[in-house]
Amino acid sequence: MTSTETIYERLKKWLDKFVIGSGYTSITTGYITGELQFLVFIIVLSVFFRIFSIPLAIIMLIFITTFALYFAPVIKDVEKENMNDLNRVLFWMVIYFAIIIAITLWGG
Amino acid sequence: MMESISNLWSIPLLVIIPMLTAIIVNFLYDKAIKPISICSAIIILIISIISPYGYHWFTGHPAFNPDTLLFTFNPNIFGYRLSLEFIFGPLQHIMIVISSLILLFCVTLSTIGLTKRQGPYMALLYLLFMSSVIVIMVNDLYHLWIVVEIGSLIVVGVAAASGTSISHKAALKYAFFSAISGAGLAVSLALILGLTGFANISDAIIYLRQFGIGDMATVLYIAFGFFVLSWMYAGGLAPIHPLKSEVYGASYPHATVLLQVQSKLMLVAIGIIMLRLFSMLPFVKEVMIFLSVITMMIGVIMALIQVDFRWIIAYLIISHSGLVTLGIGLGTQEGLVGGIFQAVNDIIYMTILLLCCEALFYFGGKTSTKEAYGIAKKSPFITTAVILGAIAAAGIPPFNGFQSEIILIQACLKEGLPEIAVLILMVSVTTFIALLRGIYRIFLKPPELQDQDDSNVDLPKVLIIGIIIFIILSIIIGIYPDIVLRFIIPVVKEVLLI
Repeated sequence: MTSTETIYERLKKWLDKFVIGSGYTSITTGYITGELQFLVFIIVLSVFFRIFSIPLAIIMLIFITTFALYFAPVIKDVEKENMNDLNRVLFWMVIYFAIIIAITLWGG
Repeated sequence: MMESISNLWSIPLLVIIPMLTAIIVNFLYDKAIKPISICSAIIILIISIISPYGYHWFTGHPAFNPDTLLFTFNPNIFGYRLSLEFIFGPLQHIMIVISSLILLFCVTLSTIGLTKRQGPYMALLYLLFMSSVIVIMVNDLYHLWIVVEIGSLIVVGVAAASGTSISHKAALKYAFFSAISGAGLAVSLALILGLTGFANISDAIIYLRQFGIGDMATVLYIAFGFFVLSWMYAGGLAPIHPLKSEVYGASYPHATVLLQVQSKLMLVAIGIIMLRLFSMLPFVKEVMIFLSVITMMIGVIMALIQVDFRWIIAYLIISHSGLVTLGIGLGTQEGLVGGIFQAVNDIIYMTILLLCCEALFYFGGKTSTKEAYGIAKKSPFITTAVILGAIAAAGIPPFNGFQSEIILIQACLKEGLPEIAVLILMVSVTTFIALLRGIYRIFLKPPELQDQDDSNVDLPKVLIIGIIIFIILSIIIGIYPDIVLRFIIPVVKEVLLI
């Protein structure tokens, strides 16, 4: 097996993770675009930590990018966490609320 | 010195006419519903267009100035107003005129499309409109709570009215959360009332700015936390977005038009109140920006992976709500102008897309992107309209979406937040990709099954007229944004006390 075939095989395997059921082309493109969008989104957000401290932003950028690439594809997990299941929404709402209260009280 | 100034005549009419219509059509059957509903919508539109600006004070006592010890009924003279109050100003004018125009088309479309339970359904549409009107006019804590509570319950009713099992589930889940957010808002308002002693929001803000909060900052922070909860719920911000998008996707498209109008008005109204009440506290704007950024990104990513055109639009409505709240969260003049302008534009181009979605019901009601239906061959008009709507939503000139998004990007750059400007651009581009995926499959791609019916379908004239009017509005505002901005800028200056 040549190195080219290995890369191809790996890419094919990675793409196959997006396919659901019969594997519709438009769905696959949507998932891949979503994955890339999410990756860029968290990279841009990690850069945003520069408002607190530039070294912190650099560390966050390296840390988050490494994690995102290591655990890719994450879009399926993003989808799962955004399902309309009542318990899941409640869980996330409690987490959000806790963060908001913690940040605002800390600010005070 | 006591002055006499009467309450504005149009404010009660804008609330009572939809309420009365809802009561009347609820008891009517068959042919009487249509003329009454349409006439009522036309009357509301006329009132909203011709109404002058003014106030409605519910409790008949005058405002009091503690420095001069003067009483006055004139809202232009400073004094603690001490009353429950509705305001009809430039912001309310532009928002209510556009909402009334949308109501007219939605009501007419529902009289054509629905055959069963028309009266109660129409009543719900009118009550939904009424809650939108009240929330944008309200300036006191009591009415704010009542309208958020009632508005949530009406959303539940409208979603459930489409009669499918998915819509019933969506409505039930949304109803569960209304209990949490309504109670949270009540706690928040009670804390503000306890801190300031004023039920009138302007009075409470004047009090907080004049006397400060001292050691009671923690109480105000807790009030802010609960306020955020109701803001997230009413507007469908993350993490409530799965429930709100479910409500949008499960309702009839014409009902979703009114639902998204209500959401945008609630986001603007509650957002401005939050900015005025809490902007003196550290981290408040950052929290609002954080919620907005998460919402706009999660919304647009979720739109990319949907397999139904209605759900794509539902998630894009959520995502673009994030753009609205981002502008408000920035708290600068450009940010606020951009946020409110985005709300107006969003309402218009989402109406185009949803009306095109409504048209799909006349071609068999299939909106899944898993199959191709070749609608372009059957109706080139609807296909052109949906592409123009997508272009407007993506912020491409000369359509209206471009004007508000460019203001938002400039506001972010001025605030030293280029990352958020990049995210806004990403949302614009991704919106186009998400919509085009659906448009290609449903409208442009020839049908894969040969036995599909190629016969032409007669679309209701009101649907075609509605789509044309909103496309024209989108282009006019895109070329000449001042026709909307002249309503928004004075209000923003007043909010920021410039």
